[in-house]
Amino acid sequence: MSLLERVRALLGDDAVEIAGGPDAVPRVAPASPDAVALLLGTAREEGWRVRLEGAGTWLPADAPADLALTTRRLDRVPAIEPQDLSATAEAGIGCDLLRQQLADRGTWLALDPPGLAGRTLGSVVATATAGPLRQGFGAVRDHVLGVTFVTGDGRLVHSGGRVVKNVAGYDLTKLEAGGFGAFGVIVLVHLRLRALPRADQTFVLAGTREDLTQVAEDIVAAGLQPAALELMSPALARREGWALAVRLAGSAALVASQEAGLRGASGGRFTALRADEAHGFWMRAAESVATRPVTFRIGGLPDSSDELLDLLQHQVGDEWVSASPAVGAIRWAGDTTVDRLRRLRRTLAGLEVPLTLERAPWPMRSAVGHFGAYREGVGPLVASLRRTFDPGEAFVVAVEGSE
Amino acid sequence: MADRGGFEALDACVHCGFCLQACPTFLATGDEADGPRGRIELMRALEAGELAVDDPAVRIHLDRCLGCRGCEPVCPSGVGYGRGIEAARALLATRRDPAPLARAALWALTTAGASGIVYALARLLRATGIPARLAGWGRFRFAMGMLAASAAKGGGGRGRSVKVGGGAPRSNLHHPPPSSTTSPVLLFRGCVMDGLFAHVHDATVRTLEVNGYAVREVPGQVCCGALHAHAGLREAARQLARVNVAAFAAGDEPIVVNSAGCGAMLKEYAHLVDAGPFAARVRDVTELLAARGPRPGAPVDLQVAYDPPCHLLHAQRIADEPHRMLAAIPVLRVASLPDAAQCCGSAGLFTLLEPAMSRAVLAPKIESLRAASPHVVATGNPGCIMQLGAGLAAAGLPTRARHPVELLDESYRAAGYYA
Amino acid sequence: MTAQLADALADIVGARHVRTTPAERRTYARDGLPTHQRVPGVVALPGSRDELVAVVRLLAAHGVPFVPRGAGTGLSGGALADGSAVLVVLTRLNRILRIDPTNRVAVVEPGVVNARLSAAAAPLGLHYAPDPSSQTACTIGGNVAENAGGPHCLKYGVTANHVLALEVVLADGRLVELGSPGGEPWGPDLVGLFVGSEGNFGIATRIAVRLHPLPRAVRTLLADFASLRSAGEGVSAVIASGIVPAALEMMDQSCINAVEDSVYAAGYPRDAAAVLLVELDGGAEAAVAAEATTVAELLLTHGARSIRTASDAAERERLWQGRKKAFGAMGRLSRDLVVQDAVVPRSALPDVLETIGRIAATYQLTVSNVFHAGDGNLHPNISFDGAVPGLKARVDAASTEIMEACIAVGGTITGEHGVGLDKLRYMPLIFDGDSLAAMRAVRRVWDPDERVNPGKVVPVHACREWAGWGPRATGPGSAGQTRPGTADPGAMPRGSGDRMAV
Repeated sequence: MSLLERVRALLGDDAVEIAGGPDAVPRVAPASPDAVALLLGTAREEGWRVRLEGAGTWLPADAPADLALTTRRLDRVPAIEPQDLSATAEAGIGCDLLRQQLADRGTWLALDPPGLAGRTLGSVVATATAGPLRQGFGAVRDHVLGVTFVTGDGRLVHSGGRVVKNVAGYDLTKLEAGGFGAFGVIVLVHLRLRALPRADQTFVLAGTREDLTQVAEDIVAAGLQPAALELMSPALARREGWALAVRLAGSAALVASQEAGLRGASGGRFTALRADEAHGFWMRAAESVATRPVTFRIGGLPDSSDELLDLLQHQVGDEWVSASPAVGAIRWAGDTTVDRLRRLRRTLAGLEVPLTLERAPWPMRSAVGHFGAYREGVGPLVASLRRTFDPGEAFVVAVEGSE
Repeated sequence: MADRGGFEALDACVHCGFCLQACPTFLATGDEADGPRGRIELMRALEAGELAVDDPAVRIHLDRCLGCRGCEPVCPSGVGYGRGIEAARALLATRRDPAPLARAALWALTTAGASGIVYALARLLRATGIPARLAGWGRFRFAMGMLAASAAKGGGGRGRSVKVGGGAPRSNLHHPPPSSTTSPVLLFRGCVMDGLFAHVHDATVRTLEVNGYAVREVPGQVCCGALHAHAGLREAARQLARVNVAAFAAGDEPIVVNSAGCGAMLKEYAHLVDAGPFAARVRDVTELLAARGPRPGAPVDLQVAYDPPCHLLHAQRIADEPHRMLAAIPVLRVASLPDAAQCCGSAGLFTLLEPAMSRAVLAPKIESLRAASPHVVATGNPGCIMQLGAGLAAAGLPTRARHPVELLDESYRAAGYYA
Repeated sequence: MTAQLADALADIVGARHVRTTPAERRTYARDGLPTHQRVPGVVALPGSRDELVAVVRLLAAHGVPFVPRGAGTGLSGGALADGSAVLVVLTRLNRILRIDPTNRVAVVEPGVVNARLSAAAAPLGLHYAPDPSSQTACTIGGNVAENAGGPHCLKYGVTANHVLALEVVLADGRLVELGSPGGEPWGPDLVGLFVGSEGNFGIATRIAVRLHPLPRAVRTLLADFASLRSAGEGVSAVIASGIVPAALEMMDQSCINAVEDSVYAAGYPRDAAAVLLVELDGGAEAAVAAEATTVAELLLTHGARSIRTASDAAERERLWQGRKKAFGAMGRLSRDLVVQDAVVPRSALPDVLETIGRIAATYQLTVSNVFHAGDGNLHPNISFDGAVPGLKARVDAASTEIMEACIAVGGTITGEHGVGLDKLRYMPLIFDGDSLAAMRAVRRVWDPDERVNPGKVVPVHACREWAGWGPRATGPGSAGQTRPGTADPGAMPRGSGDRMAV
């Protein structure tokens, strides 16, 4: 029996979405978590190599594999609980659709990941790509209460739960959030929500990087707690110079008082955007990142942000850069070479700053790896965790490079 | 229910551990067996017979308890740790004699007659200035430092005090107090206080009189017995308590104490004997002074760190009164050091019997004093004055340890309230 | 436990810091949840990281199990060791190594007491936000092991949200560095995985945590209610309003009275069926004041009889001390105590509180509720006298029934105390055999011989088998003997891809 015949026999005809994609890899779209488990169990028995896909808008669908497993039919939202500020959604739901459903119930997922609006929730969680809202609301993991995932040998594993506080058992959710699918494919996510902000305002200031860095420091020193405080390169912000964008979100009273504080800290130099302008501003910034072939993120101490931006400028250019200086997080997009990325990662490692490769064509991914230049003793742990959750090496994920 | 001799005070412990950071010996060793919760475990096992009374491991850790009772005011369940440890020590004492050193010290310091000679010799030695020059960290040198620290400092009364007459009150005052009525109070003299700190008694009498008290002496009083009780010698303590209760039996005047350790003991006589109204009459000198304002004196330009004795703060729960008393001294700058509520490691005979632990507990306090470098550290207990004074001398620090009443006395003297 | 081992430990940490006598070991038999008791074989108290690593390496070389312990204030029986294990006590590793006010980061040893870190950061205008009620005694290392919470975790997040990086000594004595100084995971989020692993993955030797600015504006409200239900409804109303209080706590009447009888009396109304303690904070006075007004109005419309606002820092402190010491005050009710830690969806609070009351009445037990209402994290305390025959069995039955009621509404068995020994039996109620097996397999990645804090967290009997059970790590120092899968009759040979029939 051919691979396709086996899959059709297992999951039904409609599970095979595309018999042969652009690279002739069959794309399989299981309709339930159990179907994912069944497929991966079979893959383990048959020795199939599987690559993971969501909506196909973020990571290129180019990893060599026997089949592509797409989560796009796992698109239900079983629960939204405005009273509890929690929701449960399947991994294949598009972030835009989820956002709309949440907003209809007066709730909000405070994540603004880079990429197109239709990126799947599973993709955002698996790659832990937070956007500018990380300033006010934290990393992706801080929004995830629990996940259900399927291991490389087809076991369905539940971790965490749907309540907002939970220490029952080890926190495998943390391994899955940002694991790039190396430790299982996420099929279901329990989310921590916030009430839809009653007020949400964005302010932009253009200028030199040096000047804006100082303004950002003043804002932090003034005790303001913006939802986003993002320093963007001119191309990304579509401004003449660099731009510092401040987003204030919350109750009307909170936003009003923060706005007053912002005026005080910056000498009233910021320009307020209208609601539609603000929406467009943030969306374009997120989408622009995905128009470049390579994206990575680095994270250092807040007071090293400026130095790290200099380093990026020097080694790989800084045309498409978005940084949360008060958090110490920087996202870079653009085009570069394997050698340059490797050198940059080594340099950064010397500064105790990790570089996570988020997106790149397969040849670069496999050469550089999403992760690398680990600190003392981490490599063997990661390898052992991979063997634990994917004993047959079914998942085609470039966890570490080939260097 | 059978009389459980004080162990019942431990029943409320639910093992939450909130006491640990309030325990000086736990802070010194980090060992549960040196903390209140671990000791309660040992005491409960002793009572239940699950651990032997002569188990050396039990003794080591119960002996190492300072008895500071710093754990009591932080205990949400109100565990009576102090009662428990005395019960346990009494039980231990049934199966062993006190250490020879403890026995010798108790005899020398608290026995009527004998102690009089010891104290007279000590005062003679102190007056030579030799102890002050010998002060240091070794066992002997530290003891010399303690003796030196007991000396009067500043301009206060010198030498042996003249006992106030047993009959009618006799005024020391040049200017009578502003309040027309005077309240009679009875002075408790104690043993060490009487032998080495007579100048504090004098200051106590003078400052009380300025504030409208008439201080009388009561014949026939003896040592309070606290040192005996802490050593597990309950019977000895009981006998002393009976003598004191009888000596003060006539009248209902307040009994004023200027030693926190004695005050705590006197207030808890009911645990030992049928004390009647005795305990309710006992007042720390700062309680009486604070109740009257007290009358402001002349400026004293000193920086003072107030260090509350455990038996005042924890056992008697007297926190504000010493501050209110010191507030009557213009210009005086009073600061509280971080961890001021922590024990200094004196704890009666503890400083002699467990020198290593005692110094370990003292060390962080000396370091805070080094950093703050006040002129005076004020503390209302003879053991604490000597412990801190010896530690300061050994560390080569200029700060002097004094009783807070001495400072008020100095202020009043400068104000010309005394003849 | 052999005398030679104790001697070897003494060679490392000094004889004064090794405890071998029955009396001394007995003082370590319990943690903050005294219903569980185990006497450790030996107790060792290393005084430095190097001593700690040497101790772990010695124990690895001899294949001896060990249990890390901080202050022993945990509430799950998690820090107990039996006679075959060495208890490694970390209280002496209590140095704050660095506070970096610019980046708002502190690096500490595991034995640093939570409240002491905040006290040290206060002069710099900073504090360490997670504030378990035992914060005056508990250690940061213990907080990391349990992923400890606390009242202010409602707004600021639990321990896991504040740990940036860890240095960890694994069971085999290897030192590994997890995370990065700025908090960005280095590779997969191993810091997040380690936090809350209850000592099963190793011992954190150095901990980097995030500090927060002290809030510039604070309002603390005390609302009293005539029924538990209306107080629960008030909680839901506040949460749904979108305002995120810094803390939102509930205490019932039994608890109020215990506190009011103690030295921590805060002036809570004794006649209230329940009180809510609500704190709002932020960077701007006006915004916090507006939020406080909104919350007060919400609570009044949901049945609050009165609302008192703390007038100054001292009153706020009193209100909080009463709440935080409530657990310790339970000793006033009875000599013995069990406390639970279930979490339920916040909208389920009114119903669940009634159910708990009904269960308490059925079993004729005293149940006092004091808990993190804003998180839905319940702490029913059952007070009883263990000396009464048969009573403990009734307490256990009631506990199970309460737990089942919480799980039935979508809750979980522990929100911040951890599984330890105490909740082992509840784990199969919320996790299936594969999920439990996955946890055990992860544990074996860190500790292939399951030698650190054995017998906790994952009920081995309820695990399905797992291919390979996590292959042994192959790093240096892991060349210990392979121990047969003790208490693991279902273990499959490594590499087997077979699966047991469902």
